[in-house]
Amino acid sequence: MSPAPSRPLTVLTVCGVGMGSSLILKMNAEKALKSLGVEAKVEHTDVSSARGMKADVAIAQGLHADDLASVAPVVLAISNFMDVDGLRRQLDEALRAQGWLS
Amino acid sequence: MTESAAGPVVDAVVGVRAADWRGAVHAACAPLVSAGALEPRYPERCIAIAEEHGPYMVLAPGIALAHARPDDGVLRLCLSAAVLATPVEFGHDQNDPVDVVLAFGSPDDGAHLALLQNLAEHLLTGLADQLRLAPDRGTAVRALSAVG
Repeated sequence: MSPAPSRPLTVLTVCGVGMGSSLILKMNAEKALKSLGVEAKVEHTDVSSARGMKADVAIAQGLHADDLASVAPVVLAISNFMDVDGLRRQLDEALRAQGWLS
Repeated sequence: MTESAAGPVVDAVVGVRAADWRGAVHAACAPLVSAGALEPRYPERCIAIAEEHGPYMVLAPGIALAHARPDDGVLRLCLSAAVLATPVEFGHDQNDPVDVVLAFGSPDDGAHLALLQNLAEHLLTGLADQLRLAPDRGTAVRALSAVG
């Protein structure tokens, strides 16, 4: 499963620094996407760099969500980085809404 | 403190009384500054980033991970934890109050990848509670050393 045109989903995980929180988020997103059977390329970065980037999905803490509106059509706000199942549900719902997952 | 030639500098403090989240960040970084793994300006940078961007370091209910950039004064790969006697508010809308403040520093953009991966795995399997229940510093350091 991948977004049309058929290519891996591009996912950007973002935090204020681009070193820690976004990296943990990247690992969790990779786990969640794998369990959904979605082929994806996940990168992590800081919020300032993210503003100049494009992706299918951006994942960050809620406090960065507004900054990411221009980065990706799907922006997911995460409050608990330890909740991989919650992230999986958020991704599942968002990808279905986009028609990228059926 | 534990340390090996290749591994990260790891330390912890328990029963910490911090006046506020800034004090908690300083407490978490303090043993790493003392060990020469972080420059004294590193915790100030963590605080400045949070003041600019919001409480980015709060990862989950009760758990924060203070960190800044390699060029903010990281001398060695390092990881520490401050377990607070009294939780503090970071201003996070869902995960306050926080009583386990982790801190890490990486000397470059890649040195910390394995450490953070292990940290995330250990947090998923109860590391924060192990730290909360640690009766003394040595027990907390051992729990955290399993990550590094």
